[in-house]
Amino acid sequence: MIVTGGSRGLGLVLVQRLADAGYRAVAIARKETNPLLSAIDDAAGAIEFVPFDLGDIAGIPALVQRLRKSFGPIHGLVNNAAVQFHGALALMPSAQIEQLVRLNTLSPIVLTKYVVRAMMADGGGRIVNVASIIGTTGYSGLAAYGATKASMIGFTRSLAREVGPMGVTVNAVAPGFMATDMTDALGDDQRRQIERRSALRRLPTIEDVAETVLFLLGDAATSITGTVVTVDAGNTA
Amino acid sequence: MTTAHDTSLRTRIVEEFARVAREHGKTLAPLTDDLALLDSGLDSLCLAIIVARLEDRLGVDPFSAADDADFPVTLADFVRLYEDAA
Ligand SMILES: NC(=O)c1ccc[n+]([C@@H]2O[C@H](COP(=O)([O-])OP(=O)(O)OC[C@H]3O[C@@H](n4cnc5c(N)ncnc54)[C@H](OP(=O)(O)O)[C@@H]3O)[C@@H](O)[C@H]2O)c1
Repeated sequence: MIVTGGSRGLGLVLVQRLADAGYRAVAIARKETNPLLSAIDDAAGAIEFVPFDLGDIAGIPALVQRLRKSFGPIHGLVNNAAVQFHGALALMPSAQIEQLVRLNTLSPIVLTKYVVRAMMADGGGRIVNVASIIGTTGYSGLAAYGATKASMIGFTRSLAREVGPMGVTVNAVAPGFMATDMTDALGDDQRRQIERRSALRRLPTIEDVAETVLFLLGDAATSITGTVVTVDAGNTA
Repeated sequence: MTTAHDTSLRTRIVEEFARVAREHGKTLAPLTDDLALLDSGLDSLCLAIIVARLEDRLGVDPFSAADDADFPVTLADFVRLYEDAA
């Protein structure tokens, strides 16, 4: 199981849950973190770390080749790594817009291209794309980010149709705001406001979202493809 | 120019076409050099699987190396791409 952005936040929890569930999980990120290193120690070989900058689009084919050589057939891919820049679009540097699209849209599409054909050659596989409720609902200051997250949903639906006949399922998970490094910038007031507006009066936890991804990767989800599972404590209900 | 090495490359490619056709229950047209790939009886997903398998077996993928490669039209074009990449 490959998890991009597996060094922190949602990706890290997911890698740990995968290892607990008996899978071998490979975390990809630019640099390892102390929590990831201790997870690797605890997991006795079930978690591996492969350093890679996913913004390096040209390097992706060689990355996939290396992953397959080192770890064998790839059963699942979770496109989780992403960046978020918050701010008025009218003032956002174009370089930041470009980086958002490169890392959140272009990179997962190209990575999936190389992984999915190997999955098809091996007879099947699972792909989960981490989108966001911001892909379908609005949030001031996240227009460019929202565009990239919506792109993952469109990607999920069409690819599911394309590779379904070859035994590969493709789904998306759309989390609401969770407390991670990515949402550090949210002030307490904003967080409380989001909680107040959610049916369950709280934020979803990273663990809630990780469990949903795990479900989509597992045997119980064989008949689920091309769909988006929202995990937002009822924020968009 | 056809060397022994080239011939075996062609053979391996043709083997892979046959294997993928078998696995996916497709009827393969006779594999002549000027056969258009789209008339081979395999669809584009099967061709993608062939490219992935050949990458495993030969260690090259001429389609990711080439900047702007159009997918080759005939079997001979396809084989030539691999010969050039080898
Ligand atoms: N947090 C939220 O509230 C929220 C809500 C909805 C959706 N999401 C989505 O959930 C996913 C995970 O978010 P998160 O909050 O867990 O993020 P996070 O805590 O910011 O972690 C991001 C991960 O991506 C990796 N990454 C970033 N840039 C990279 C690059 N160039 N190359 C390789 N890896 C890179 C990071 O590692 P390095 O920095 O070491 O590379 C890190 O492991 C994202 O897709 C996000 O859009 C999050």
